[in-house]
Amino acid sequence: MGLLEPLLKISPLTLAAVLVFSPALFGVVVFAVRTKWSRKGVVTVAGWVLTLAAITVFAIAFVSRTALSATLPAKAAPWSMIVAGGDLALLAAILVIAVRFRSAMVFGVALVQLAVVLYAELTGGHAAEAAPSVFIDWLSVVMVMIVSVIGSIIAVYGLPYMKEHERHLGIDEAGSHRPGFFLTMLVFLGAMNGLVISDDLRWVFFFWEVTTLCSFLLIRHDGTDLANTNALRALWMNTLGGVGFAVAIVLFGAHAHTYSVQALLRSPMGAAASLPILAALACLMFAAFTKSAQMPFHSWLLGAMVAPTPVSALLHSSTMVKAGVYLLMRFAPAFHGTQLSNVLAIAGGFTFVATAFLAIGQTNAKKILAYSTISNLGLIIACTGLNRPLALAAAVMLLIFHALSKGLLFMACGVVEHGIHSRDIEDMQGLVNRMPLTTLIMVIGILSMLLPPFGVLIAKLAAIEASVHLPLAMGMLVIGSTLTVAFWTKWTGRLLASEPGAVHPKIEHLHVMYFVPLVLLTVGAVAFSLAVFPLLTELVEPAVTQYYALVPGAAGGVDLSTDVLAVPWLLVFGVMATAVLAPVLVARTRPDEEVGAYMCGEQIETPNGSGFITVAEQSCSLSIRGHYFERYVGEDRHTLWMSLVAASLIAGMFGSVAVR
Amino acid sequence: MMAEYLTALAAVLAAPFLGGILMGLDRVVSARLQSRQGPPLVQPFYDILKLFAKRRMAANTFQMISVSVYLASMVLSLALLVMGQDLLVLLFILALGNIMLILGGFSVKSPYSQLGSQREVIVLLAYEPLLVCMVVGTYILTGSFSAASVFGLERPLALSMPAFVITQTLVMAMKLHKSPFDVSASHHAHQELVRGIYTEFSGPQMAVIELAHLYELVLLLGFIVLFWHTNLVVGIVLALACHAAVIVLDNVSARMTTRWMFGFTWSVGLALAAANLAALYATGPLPR
Amino acid sequence: MGLIDIARSKSPWILHFDAGACNGCDIEILACLTPVYDVERFGIINIGNPKHADVLLVTGTVNKRSARVLRNLYDQMPDPKAVVAIGACALSGGVFHECYNVLGGVDSVLPVDVYVPGCAPKPEAIIEGVVMALGKMQEREHARKRGAA
Repeated sequence: MGLLEPLLKISPLTLAAVLVFSPALFGVVVFAVRTKWSRKGVVTVAGWVLTLAAITVFAIAFVSRTALSATLPAKAAPWSMIVAGGDLALLAAILVIAVRFRSAMVFGVALVQLAVVLYAELTGGHAAEAAPSVFIDWLSVVMVMIVSVIGSIIAVYGLPYMKEHERHLGIDEAGSHRPGFFLTMLVFLGAMNGLVISDDLRWVFFFWEVTTLCSFLLIRHDGTDLANTNALRALWMNTLGGVGFAVAIVLFGAHAHTYSVQALLRSPMGAAASLPILAALACLMFAAFTKSAQMPFHSWLLGAMVAPTPVSALLHSSTMVKAGVYLLMRFAPAFHGTQLSNVLAIAGGFTFVATAFLAIGQTNAKKILAYSTISNLGLIIACTGLNRPLALAAAVMLLIFHALSKGLLFMACGVVEHGIHSRDIEDMQGLVNRMPLTTLIMVIGILSMLLPPFGVLIAKLAAIEASVHLPLAMGMLVIGSTLTVAFWTKWTGRLLASEPGAVHPKIEHLHVMYFVPLVLLTVGAVAFSLAVFPLLTELVEPAVTQYYALVPGAAGGVDLSTDVLAVPWLLVFGVMATAVLAPVLVARTRPDEEVGAYMCGEQIETPNGSGFITVAEQSCSLSIRGHYFERYVGEDRHTLWMSLVAASLIAGMFGSVAVR
Repeated sequence: MMAEYLTALAAVLAAPFLGGILMGLDRVVSARLQSRQGPPLVQPFYDILKLFAKRRMAANTFQMISVSVYLASMVLSLALLVMGQDLLVLLFILALGNIMLILGGFSVKSPYSQLGSQREVIVLLAYEPLLVCMVVGTYILTGSFSAASVFGLERPLALSMPAFVITQTLVMAMKLHKSPFDVSASHHAHQELVRGIYTEFSGPQMAVIELAHLYELVLLLGFIVLFWHTNLVVGIVLALACHAAVIVLDNVSARMTTRWMFGFTWSVGLALAAANLAALYATGPLPR
Repeated sequence: MGLIDIARSKSPWILHFDAGACNGCDIEILACLTPVYDVERFGIINIGNPKHADVLLVTGTVNKRSARVLRNLYDQMPDPKAVVAIGACALSGGVFHECYNVLGGVDSVLPVDVYVPGCAPKPEAIIEGVVMALGKMQEREHARKRGAA
């Protein structure tokens, strides 16, 4: 404790400055000094700085056990002007993009947003100066850790990835787009940190829009037609969400007379809130739905998969899409006990089920990961809507474990893609023979998404328990969880389908900057899962309890039933570990003899692996495909009606404002 | 605490014997239904011992891991049930075992075991919601997911959750690969896709799978005993009646398609579950 | 006789392969499964998968096309295992002995433990053949154990 004492003296503002500005500064260096070694060095150092800053924040929060907050003096600068200028500059950039790419959609939505922002600026004069204020509670700490630590790991992984990526595209060092790429990535990390530690909604909004723009730039990074189209779609959808956010700000300013999130949470909320305040909350939910790619806005995230894999890993699974759910979790006490909250749970639950269903029919690995991401975000939103301490604890745990596992899976996918030049899981058949190490990591990543004793499952248990009071949501969680099992199991099955005989594969060589990030996240996913209960009882539970202390009548701890905790987990882990390790370690259980598959006695070896003799003594090589049930779960059959249902649920959210 | 562990240990040790006898009974009854004499009652033990003594032949090492985790998950689930632990956790541990077996089937590039595994995924999809709904039903009644809290109820579950006796019987038929649900492999030596998901497991690995089946049978029957925990004799009679129903169903019905099975369980099965849950919500005391 | 020996003799699982028979012998084998003979009384199951089987029942002549398949099936059966040749054709090629494509009986490809003669053999004879094969299989296994020790 004594050692940590000096930490407490570090001003939150200093930390905030490091978290927000240092990545951007490093990014500028990367952009300006264009040599290979400086890029590697600077990105790695930026990663370390961010990681250390995040760990410091964590340590301070852990020691002090209270939220950190600080505000810059209001008189120090014309803050409102600065933030308004920032907003307008971003909008100008979006308008320029719209004109350049001739996108009427983006232009129109941006114009609407411009109108709302201008209205806010003109009418919001009575509110206090927008001095940057920092509020770091446990939720922020979790987000900062995810953004800074996992984000840094992914950025480092991006170094060899982008090099190979450009080599494939035939771009030489001189024409490399990498400086711009890493600049955007690093600026994004800073903005994301800013988003989760700011207390003033106007600043949150500013950072929100920065991430939108970064996302656009990174999706269209390869500059193909498809990349441009998908990037523009992401842009207009997110800008539309921005409109919702801006409207919420206007409403809060006019009716609550404050933009501070903490002040808002302390004003009459929930059942006591006035109609415009509830409407503002519904607008925020709308914004969150676009950012977190919930149905019917999920198409932008699917399209975003054209971006290079580090982008998908960082923005489109681990961090940026979490901004939406973060916002909802932040405001959860505000809509506690309202109909709005229930509708939110149903809407989130619907996306959870619908996208898990659609994922079953996919063969494109990144698309499966995208659907699964949307699905998990839906689950987190459903938890937020359930709005009980236990549900929120589940949501926080899902944030952590999903970021770890999905970051890992995307990175592993990227490595595989460069190894086999495909992202189709059919082409990954028998990958265990070709890239055993990556396959092992991938399988651990997949299993960590759905099986005990991994953390995602424990969070799901908690979510189901919390949902019992809302039967419809519960049904969705149960069915969604079941569907999830299907596509992960099928994918893992393809990875493991090995040619008999080829049982002693050579372990492939991985670039050290692939290997280290992958191993770090694998170890992280496993270690956090093993420590899930201490994590829950020591960290998440106190935080959530504190959180709901704001809400009258919602007090009470995280009642994750003692049943789950009482399970003799040590015994479970012990038996499972023995079961996995025994066949590997004990030589006696190794096969005496390795034989090929049964093929009615007609099996032969062909140049393409195993095969069989067919009519007229023809030899034929065996090829096996997974079954994806396209006829039943195909996207083109279901996306339309699912989107309509989801849209009507969003309309229902606004409708429920009226009935409370 | 110690007593709990000892009971669990006793159950784990006794289960294979009990399961073996029940499985033998199943084969005898099936034979009689087909007007045959059938094998000796202890036939399953002969089969397992023989399989253990065969030479170890495998397509890859992962098969070994998959069957050992499958067995471990069955043993653990049974122990957790006896110890009165969280039922939801139990279900997921059970699912872990099944998924590992499916992956074991997938791990060989063999047409039969691949197709068997594909179908087993659908079987898993078909019964998993029914199991979870059952556990949710107990939660509505007791305010807890633990089996111990069911032991504490005064009224037998079968009276408040009658529809779930039916769904549990269906789940049992599906998990034991009985007709009309034996799409991924067959419990008896009927040949569907050769031996479906089991095709590529041989000798000792197959023995481990058979042993796990004995545990699975006891566990499934244990679930049904739970429905009449107030009087164990009635509970056991109920469980045996359900088992008999499954055997008769197996012998009087033909194998159906995966699509039919999925449609049937998700429509009829889930409707039964939903109706019972709705009744529980309407009448049952939801604590807290 | 140890427990394992008992188990082995009580649980012979069968793989039936028709290497080129007229189906007469096959019908007799299937008759063994019917309620009249009910071989499951002895724990015998027609398993249809070499990886699970203990005893290989072969009917018919071995010809150039079926020899390879027969060999493959035999190789996929884990030890200990036994082979029973059923019917005149499987013993020697029978009436097809001199045919251009016929290699001869099963023993031209595999080591046969028991020959069950007849055209076609009676089910009782087939069942006895399996029982005898089990005895030879056990003896072989014991001899192997002694040799290893």
